[in-house]
Amino acid sequence: MKRPPKPARMTLNLAPMVDVMMCLIIFFLLAAKMVAAEHYPVDLPWAIAAKNVEASDLGTRVTITVRRAQGGDDQAEYVVVDWDGERVVERVLQPGEVNSLLQARAARAARESQKLRCVVRADRMVMYKHVEVVLRACGLAQIRDVVFSANAGTDPKEPA
Amino acid sequence: MKRPEAAGEFVPNLAPMVDVIMVLLIFFLLGTSLDLVSQGVLQTELDPSSGPGAGVRVEINPLIRIALADVGGGESVRIYVMEEPLAENDFEGLYRFLLDRRRAGADPANPLVVGAETTVRWKFVVKAMDAAVRAGFANVQFAVSFRAGSIGG
Repeated sequence: MKRPPKPARMTLNLAPMVDVMMCLIIFFLLAAKMVAAEHYPVDLPWAIAAKNVEASDLGTRVTITVRRAQGGDDQAEYVVVDWDGERVVERVLQPGEVNSLLQARAARAARESQKLRCVVRADRMVMYKHVEVVLRACGLAQIRDVVFSANAGTDPKEPA
Repeated sequence: MKRPEAAGEFVPNLAPMVDVIMVLLIFFLLGTSLDLVSQGVLQTELDPSSGPGAGVRVEINPLIRIALADVGGGESVRIYVMEEPLAENDFEGLYRFLLDRRRAGADPANPLVVGAETTVRWKFVVKAMDAAVRAGFANVQFAVSFRAGSIGG
């Protein structure tokens, strides 16, 4: 009598699953880095009219954080977070360097036919003249779309 | 003579790797908080005629001008509208004033220019912009800098 064939051993092919998970991990690694860098800790001002938006809705953007420098009120530092096409780049600039950076970035956006937006995240206590450096640089670089980050609502520290 | 056994097929065990990747994936899924991704923004468009080499300057009237003068070294501000001090020197008063202007027929697309002395704190400038946006003015612009003490004498 013929013996029944031995049942074939089933092995699960995990390779495609590993591929997909690797892609997801790389995506979240990059997203987490971008989000963390763009949300450099700074005490933002409060505005009732501020709209909550998803970061992805801001489109192609360069984010500039204006914070008080160690030297006191009269000085400020500019932390610029940008995507250079390959990776997230974070740089701390002095006022004189903001202009050239935005001009170069605007030129690259124009070459790539992208509409560039500048997101200004300024500490609530910095002097207006420090933010004005960014506004002037945006004007010179022909970046017309500028948004200011603010906490939505009223300042809990100040009386109504 | 005994023949050597055929070499068995080498199959790497992927299960531990999958375990580790799953843990990493869950970590990043939870770590990338959605609260961080959303942010509050106030939007504006810069005056295209600003900066050197700009085109012909076009005056659009009526134009609402708001100026902020520093008081007490950054402690507070004095609010001026059309070069006149605002009766209620607070941002709710500015909001009510602008709302009255809107109800009186001011075009929300007309430019509203916010200017501030260089030493004014950014939070006050944002409050002025906030009052304008809440009152319905969509075209908020920023004026060139006023030196400290130049507004209101």
